[in-house]
Amino acid sequence: MKVKAKEKDGIVKVKVLAKHQNIGPEEAEKKKKEANFITTVVGKVGGKVVYEMNGSGFMSKNPLFKFKFKGKKGDELEVTWTDLKGESKTKKAKIK
Amino acid sequence: MDRRKFLGLGLAALALAPLTKLNATDFRKEKPDAWKAEKPADAIKALYGDIKPEEKGVTIKAPKLAENGGKIPVFVKSDIDAKSVAIFQDANPRAAVAVWTVPEDGIIDYGITIKMKGSGKITAIVEGKDGKFYSKVLPIEVSKGGCGG
Repeated sequence: MKVKAKEKDGIVKVKVLAKHQNIGPEEAEKKKKEANFITTVVGKVGGKVVYEMNGSGFMSKNPLFKFKFKGKKGDELEVTWTDLKGESKTKKAKIK
Repeated sequence: MDRRKFLGLGLAALALAPLTKLNATDFRKEKPDAWKAEKPADAIKALYGDIKPEEKGVTIKAPKLAENGGKIPVFVKSDIDAKSVAIFQDANPRAAVAVWTVPEDGIIDYGITIKMKGSGKITAIVEGKDGKFYSKVLPIEVSKGGCGG
């Protein structure tokens, strides 16, 4: 996972690139793989939630998420995704 | 610390984790039917109930003609003071794509890359804090389907 966060005029722009196959049930059948996709993405700064999404199997492979929130330089943004199987990955990034 | 105590602590931490993780609604757990519905209208009904959204205040930015249906960048923007934002489409076997919970003081400018089997319409719904719903529908042409293709 890649996380980039950049602040300008009090607004932090974030790009999150999650590395995930994101296979929906129909696709899984075709490719003979197990269906698994990202179900939640949560972004936090100092314990406060700034981004929260519930996803489906219709997000692309290696989905890219972009969002904005009110924040400041130097803070640490923590992004976590969780998939259908319950696996999760967390990545921290300093707001630049 | 002995082993038993250590394991006990670990279990306690595990039990607490799901409670403290999210501050709002987990739409996948609370509204499972919304993710199974085939048509956007049904998915919207399962998610929000019988609503009549106004078609204003919401913008969707996406390519008019997407060459690769496997990765279509979609942006949803709105200035409405909202609780949640959801996007649906009518080209795939099921309609719901993603639902965002807008945090306190949040900015609605969400970008996501989605898959579409063929040409279709993207519907965005914004649930305002005023109890009203706002929507936008955007048709997209897909030249190469990306769902299982």
